[in-house]
Amino acid sequence: MTEGRTIFLVDDDHDFLELEKSILESRGYRVIPFSDPQAALAALNACAPQERPALVVTDLMMKALDSGFSFTRALKSDPRFSDIPVIIVTAVSSQKGFDFHPRTPADLAAMNAEAFFDKPVSPEALLAKVEELLK
Amino acid sequence: MSGGPVGSAAAEARILVVDDEAGVREGCRKVLAAEGYEVVTAEDGEAGLARFIERGPFAVLLVDLQMPRMSGLELMREARSRDPDILPIIITAHAAIDTAVEGTKQGAYSYIPKPFSPDELLLTLKNGLERRALSIEARSLHEERERRLLEVASERSKSNTIIACMTDGILVINSEKLVVLRNNAAASILPECASRPIPFPLEVVTERGVRETISGVLDSPGGFEILSREIGIGKATYMMNVSPVIEPRGGTSGAVAVFRDVSELKKLETAKSMFVSMVAHEVKSPLAATEGWLNLVLSGTLKAKAEEERRMIQRSLLRVRTLRNMVSELLNLTAIETGNFTLRRALVDVAAVAAEVVEAQREKAAEKGITITVCGGQGPQAAGGPGTRHATGVLADKDALAIVCTNLVENAIKYGREGGHVLVTIARDGMYVAVSVKDDGIGLSPADSAKVFDEFYRARNEQTASIPGTGLGLSLVKRLTELHQGTVSLSSVPGEGSEFTVRIPAAQG
Repeated sequence: MTEGRTIFLVDDDHDFLELEKSILESRGYRVIPFSDPQAALAALNACAPQERPALVVTDLMMKALDSGFSFTRALKSDPRFSDIPVIIVTAVSSQKGFDFHPRTPADLAAMNAEAFFDKPVSPEALLAKVEELLK
Repeated sequence: MSGGPVGSAAAEARILVVDDEAGVREGCRKVLAAEGYEVVTAEDGEAGLARFIERGPFAVLLVDLQMPRMSGLELMREARSRDPDILPIIITAHAAIDTAVEGTKQGAYSYIPKPFSPDELLLTLKNGLERRALSIEARSLHEERERRLLEVASERSKSNTIIACMTDGILVINSEKLVVLRNNAAASILPECASRPIPFPLEVVTERGVRETISGVLDSPGGFEILSREIGIGKATYMMNVSPVIEPRGGTSGAVAVFRDVSELKKLETAKSMFVSMVAHEVKSPLAATEGWLNLVLSGTLKAKAEEERRMIQRSLLRVRTLRNMVSELLNLTAIETGNFTLRRALVDVAAVAAEVVEAQREKAAEKGITITVCGGQGPQAAGGPGTRHATGVLADKDALAIVCTNLVENAIKYGREGGHVLVTIARDGMYVAVSVKDDGIGLSPADSAKVFDEFYRARNEQTASIPGTGLGLSLVKRLTELHQGTVSLSSVPGEGSEFTVRIPAAQG
């Protein structure tokens, strides 16, 4: 069973934070919301190993356009957190003609993420992906 | 005095007869006048010169050689120096033929020995006048040619000056790929060409794209192709147009390359596309949030109670409203930018407008337990009809002023402390009327303060995350204030609050 496990949720949009929190909590996950990736990183660093989240869901365009990318890079480059699966949920799918949509697993790896969703993500799709990644 | 064609033409039928023999003078006058000539006579050289000067111009000078005071030859010289077109004819006694021949060497057209018949006189005169006309025509043709040459020379120097002073860079390249002309602008765009004496090989140009484009035109088989290309040189971007120089008999003899600096246009283009993608993102977020909430209600994933569902729909509505505000603010901003925002200026009391705005916002403030105090002015009842003069009167568009005040007061409530206090002050400040709105809320960091008037900029942190906003309100405040020749300023301390002050020039009087 994957229920009861902790998920860090990072998004600077109040609505998405609450929305995705509701979706995840409906399956019994324990969700800790952050509106700033810096705060999430600080919390991660402060966590005892057994309290670390089982999964991270993050937005991309927060304070700066690439703040989501720097956040996932920081996670994956730290051996303590590199095993934690990351799901990106974002409204930014292209910027100045540059398409963010990952098409291959290599694209996803380059984003330091295990999954990518456009906003708004459907509750079923998000829950299915979380379940799959936590198996 | 004659000399030009006009004087000569005017002289056409006028003859000066100078002879000390009254009989000869009068004889000539009769004969010539009968032929329609206008005749002036003089009795000696000196008198002749005086008449010549006073009554000229003349076409013909009929002159006797031996005269008292001034000789005929002397008079002839004097006359010719004043009018090179004058036709001197010597009338002389047989004994003085040698002198007369000498006279023709000195510029006399001919001589008629005395005594002469009227026919002899008229024949010589007619031939002489024909020759005079021919020489005048020849001279005027010559002058015309000289004038044309001068014009061409000055046209060429004009063209050179124009080409040299053009802000567009110009290179002219011949078919052997030699640069045969470059203007000052081209020399500063392609500094490697600046010190090269003309002509120099095209290879001197270091920018490969420039060489390739020029060669492309010179080497094109048809030779009638114009190539255009954007080229970045240093920090600038140039639009380069190369056109062939086409010979009248076909074929090309070279190419002309024009470089126009389009860096500013490029910057505008980039700014525009950045703005569009920013707008797209700002529109997409509230739409996605609304869609997310509605999805959640419909999907039944949460098995939520009616009360919870109601809250989700309210959240959707809030985002939709924000989106609608954003669209109208965006339209206002665009109208200001394109100059389509018409200010209907009238004498308005800022204090009255601010007081009205505050009254409209009191309920919203009360929900957060915030009290608003207005300081200055006489309250909403003084809303002032046209013509009333207040210390806080300005010539402004009342609606625009209300938008400015509403945005400031709304922000003070949104970012104010729960149960806190907002102070709105309206006061005369020198030449200006100042409205300041002060809250005791979360305040702004110096970094946020610097950007808060930018379009779509919103301070993003834990405290602002749940506050809806378009990121356009303060941009609008700034633009509207500036349309009134006013200024906006901000002082803020994080955790203590912010104070926004708008200053608008006070109405005279």
